[in-house]
Amino acid sequence: MHIFFRRLGSILREKPRLNMEVFVARSRLTLIFSLFALLFLSSSSLSSSTSELQILTAERRIDLASHIIRVVLTLKVQNDEASPASNVLLAFPPAQAKHLALIQAAEVAGKKRKKSLHPLDVKQSNHADGPNGAKLYSISLRNPLSTGGSVSIEVSYVLTQSLEPFPVEISQSESQLVLYRDSALILSPYEIKQQTTVIRTPSTKIESFTRVEPSTQLRTELKYGPYEDQPSFSYSPILVHFENNNPFAVVEELVREIEISHWGNLQVTEHYTLVHNGARHKGGFSRVEYQSRPTISGVASFKHLLVKLPPRVHSVYYRDNIGNISTSHLRTGYSKSELEIEPRYPLLGGWKATFIIGYGLPLEDVLFESDDGKRYLNFSFGCPIAETLVNKIINKVVLPEGSKNPSIVVPFSVERREETSYSYLDIVGRPVVVLEKENVVPEHNVLFQVYYDFHPMSMLAEPLMLTSVFFFLFVAALAYIHMDISIRK
Amino acid sequence: MTQSAKPISSPVPDAWYPSLAVPMLAVGLVITASFFIYEATSSRKNRSLAKELVTGAAASFFLGFGSLFLLLASGVYV
Repeated sequence: MHIFFRRLGSILREKPRLNMEVFVARSRLTLIFSLFALLFLSSSSLSSSTSELQILTAERRIDLASHIIRVVLTLKVQNDEASPASNVLLAFPPAQAKHLALIQAAEVAGKKRKKSLHPLDVKQSNHADGPNGAKLYSISLRNPLSTGGSVSIEVSYVLTQSLEPFPVEISQSESQLVLYRDSALILSPYEIKQQTTVIRTPSTKIESFTRVEPSTQLRTELKYGPYEDQPSFSYSPILVHFENNNPFAVVEELVREIEISHWGNLQVTEHYTLVHNGARHKGGFSRVEYQSRPTISGVASFKHLLVKLPPRVHSVYYRDNIGNISTSHLRTGYSKSELEIEPRYPLLGGWKATFIIGYGLPLEDVLFESDDGKRYLNFSFGCPIAETLVNKIINKVVLPEGSKNPSIVVPFSVERREETSYSYLDIVGRPVVVLEKENVVPEHNVLFQVYYDFHPMSMLAEPLMLTSVFFFLFVAALAYIHMDISIRK
Repeated sequence: MTQSAKPISSPVPDAWYPSLAVPMLAVGLVITASFFIYEATSSRKNRSLAKELVTGAAASFFLGFGSLFLLLASGVYV
């Protein structure tokens, strides 16, 4: 048994990384490999049960409307083994796993109108990778699945940077065409009895798509399937070449400083580095053509960005290194405020823009006191610009001077570190909690909390500092008056 | 999370900042003026250090708090 595993391990390690095109030709070898991998998985001595599950029906809906791809996978899993199963594994090809921004799963209970979703935990599995480096994620079920029982699970995940512009460079008057690579068969560690994949494109203009029978195109929808009785880890690469002129707005880095002042204000300053991540612009830019023919020229470019801010926002400014940018509109409301900004120039493929957006919020909207006496800040984590991917977000929460023991509650994993910053009337400095995250999508715009201890008396430090400065001036005046420096007595 | 969320706001209402700043600074400056008038009008023998210090302390208290509220009223939330 020992020797068998060692041999298997050496085979898996020796095999070089396969190109997807070569993979198609070697499907039979992959089948043998997948059986080996199944054997390896099922006889591994890990604590979580890896019993043989079977997927009865699988439906995958891929939405390619924007540059952020959203996929909803509905699985009906049945337990065929003797022991109950507490985890369901999902597999992703390594290229997709690298660009996976968010993955969520929920158990579906009830049918049609009485459908309810119970969220489930999804995390990276500690199993070995599947064949060809397929990454495995494990969903923890609420109740272990008994033998013969079945459960419906809905998985939704978000992929970023997965649309390749092709042609890579376009001129001002051309439309943007992109490539999407995926598989017609859903990659899974289990056998799938019946599966369908539906891909929705933003427009009816689809240049080409790989045909894997039965596959059909109906206006903006491509349907792959239904496919019956597919073995585990089966993969059939497809390529969809279609037109996508939606804005490919990517913020390369967003540094956001959130400064809390207990005297009644929360000041947020956001530094953006925005780039158009679609097909690069080649040739010259003709402003005349751009403005006179908006339907033909610059269809892949974008001019406006919508920034969604909390309600009761005040002192909003939009500026860059040159100065204030006046092309913006702010609409405040009861539930939200919208700031529509227009950079100094339209963004074509590969063009960048850097700017700063700042605003203030009343303290009672964001700072609260919890039951155990700690104060906490309740603020949204992600980027407020709609439909934008952020490559790296750095949130700096500046707590007032005298705050102690900061702790954070964030629904997903972030990197945390602490700094000290010096601002007005500071002696020891203000503690800063820095939260960093990569690959942030609009689905990450959820509230996070920063808890800290603060004694209300510490607020007196600032006026007492000012009072003591004035008192020192008076004492100095007194000392001068009382001092006798005359030479003659 | 069944925590009761009690919103925290400033101990002094925001709207009061300008109307606190101006009178406090005015009072502070008046007491400063009285301090220096005392210094100028009294002779070396009649001067009382206690009175000087008390006047100085009162003046610096009003000037200190007044300048804090002036900073807050002008938007520099310290």
